[in-house]
Amino acid sequence: MTGEPHQSAGRTSDADAARGFWSEAWKRFRGRKLSMAALGFVFFLVFVATFAPAIAGTKPVVCRYKGTIYFPCLGYFDRTLEPVIFSKDRFRGTYPANLAEKDPESWAVWPLVFQDPYRAVRENEWPGEPANPARDQGKPSARNLFGTDQYGVDVFAKMVHGTTVALLVGFVSMGLAGTIGITVGATAGYFGGWVDMLASRLIEVVMCVPTLVLILALVAFVDKPSIWKTMAIIGLTGWTGIARLTRAEFLRLRSSEFVMAARAAGAGPVRIMLKHILPNALAPVLVPITFGIASAILIESSLSFLGFGPPPPSVSWGSLLNDARSNLQMWWLVVFPGMAIFLTVLSYNLVGEGLQEATDPRLREARK
Amino acid sequence: MVSYLIRRMVLAVITLLMITGIVYGLARAMPGTPLTVAIGETDPSRKLNPADIERMKKAYGLDKPWYTAYFVWAGNVVRGDLGRSISRKQPVATLIGERIGPTLALSGSALLLTWMLSIPLGLYASARSGAVDERAVSFGLYVLYSFPTFVAALFLQIIFAVWLRETAWELPLFGMRGDGYSTESSWLARTADVARHAILPVICQSYVSLAWYSRFIHANMQEVVRQDYIRTAKAKGAGPWRVLVHHAFRNTLIPLVTLLGLSLPALLGGSVIIEQIFTWPGMGRLFFESIRERDYPTIMGLTFMFSVLTLLGQLVADVLYAWVDPRVSVE
Repeated sequence: MTGEPHQSAGRTSDADAARGFWSEAWKRFRGRKLSMAALGFVFFLVFVATFAPAIAGTKPVVCRYKGTIYFPCLGYFDRTLEPVIFSKDRFRGTYPANLAEKDPESWAVWPLVFQDPYRAVRENEWPGEPANPARDQGKPSARNLFGTDQYGVDVFAKMVHGTTVALLVGFVSMGLAGTIGITVGATAGYFGGWVDMLASRLIEVVMCVPTLVLILALVAFVDKPSIWKTMAIIGLTGWTGIARLTRAEFLRLRSSEFVMAARAAGAGPVRIMLKHILPNALAPVLVPITFGIASAILIESSLSFLGFGPPPPSVSWGSLLNDARSNLQMWWLVVFPGMAIFLTVLSYNLVGEGLQEATDPRLREARK
Repeated sequence: MVSYLIRRMVLAVITLLMITGIVYGLARAMPGTPLTVAIGETDPSRKLNPADIERMKKAYGLDKPWYTAYFVWAGNVVRGDLGRSISRKQPVATLIGERIGPTLALSGSALLLTWMLSIPLGLYASARSGAVDERAVSFGLYVLYSFPTFVAALFLQIIFAVWLRETAWELPLFGMRGDGYSTESSWLARTADVARHAILPVICQSYVSLAWYSRFIHANMQEVVRQDYIRTAKAKGAGPWRVLVHHAFRNTLIPLVTLLGLSLPALLGGSVIIEQIFTWPGMGRLFFESIRERDYPTIMGLTFMFSVLTLLGQLVADVLYAWVDPRVSVE
């Protein structure tokens, strides 16, 4: 599969054993071009999310104003990180003209694209540039790469800043789901008996409630929706598959010799579960977690699409699509966010599949 | 067998009680009541005065705490009464009866299309396993599998309802019936009208499962073709097609049968997102609306139906599995 010529089977398998499970899995993963490309795309998204304010924004990345260096672009991450001096000096969010007017000595490094994800850029805000077109006039152009929405807000800027949500939703909700799922599954599988019975019932109940029912009920239940609450809800509803797999792995491993040895050496149940069984059960459990990230992103965007997403000003790709529903002739509102969601989901699925092929010895045998 | 079924039924009833209890509690905990949400939103001047609200609360049993009200509801269900919708002033059973037809039409055709296409596709992929065209098709299916339904729905709407407007290829944007439906006299014209409205939703509902089923069949076939009896069949001179269909595919039918059982809830439950995008008057849309209107009896009626179908589907899948595969026993 790696494309290297197989010289002698005996020797390679010896070397494989010496290299350790994870580095061997990584080597096999690297051999899958599509999965590597997908992993690259995920890293690209991390990069975009981290440097979003430097890619698109109307606040300088770095500027020198009245003798001090400031980083106003941090305001996009959190309002409180925007230096107070600019609101004191009545900048009102408009930097280019104010900087030049209030301190002729000042200089600034601007984001790559001078567009704001929260409002339309006005005429002459950037000297000599026209205002963003509003309503259905905002076709993609050199100024607005992905066009503008009905209020004239730049779609490219919205999407760049929405990347953070797409990434966080995946990691935070699956981090939560993974923690719950592994805890419930490990307890059920390790102790068995009535603990297992109770946990299995719980898993079945959560699995049987239609996901969207549970999510819509919980979304309606929280008073002030925010992106964090959405993530928590997706995590709270998405752990059942992980729990089932963990349970099966723990059931299989709990009677194995190394566990018996650990128990004989006097290790307590928590230590055995965490230090002895979990590392051996981790690989098969990581696969559904990776697929879960893909479905978490899907669920978040469909919630935003149905209008149950976090309220503005937070931008998510799904809410962009929701805007597009009533303006279908503005195709750019559908195509760009739609493709972004699709590519992200596809990437996580490809990474998950690569992980599965790289870590599952059964599949490896099958391919020979 | 009988004792197994009884045990499963008892467990299913316990699970059902837990599910409906949780959903009932959640529904009642949502901010707003059916009385305030439904009436206050449409017309603020028609807001009820407090005395009327109290009277109506009593009439609908909303004055009781949720756990008491839940047992009243559960008792009624046991007696075959799903209650009356608060916002629609109709029995819930009637509402479900009205919506089940459209949903079944949509998901039934989607399921049929999926099976009709995925079996040949899966077999084709197994026959050409490893060849360039098979890899291209498999990758295409994989891509399709990752394509979000609502994005696909919007793309299709743009293409067929906006770009192809006023051409022969134009398809309706939403709804189940055109304006001329009631004036059409012939049965055929009416069916054609509904069918034209159903094309886009059916495509959206079937392509993901099509991709999934084909991959599933292909993966199962790959396991089977390595078995000894396949080699035997080849050795005794059976042609490649005969080996594939007669000897290999028959043995992959077992996991497929369980899938059929598990698709039962989706068949009648409908898809909230697709029915919402295409404003198809089905169960999914009814559920979505009832949550927005805080219509507890309808939410509960639908949840009850979904859960029964899910549990039943699992049971049917397990029993069918034991029935088609003599090596497996339900005990």
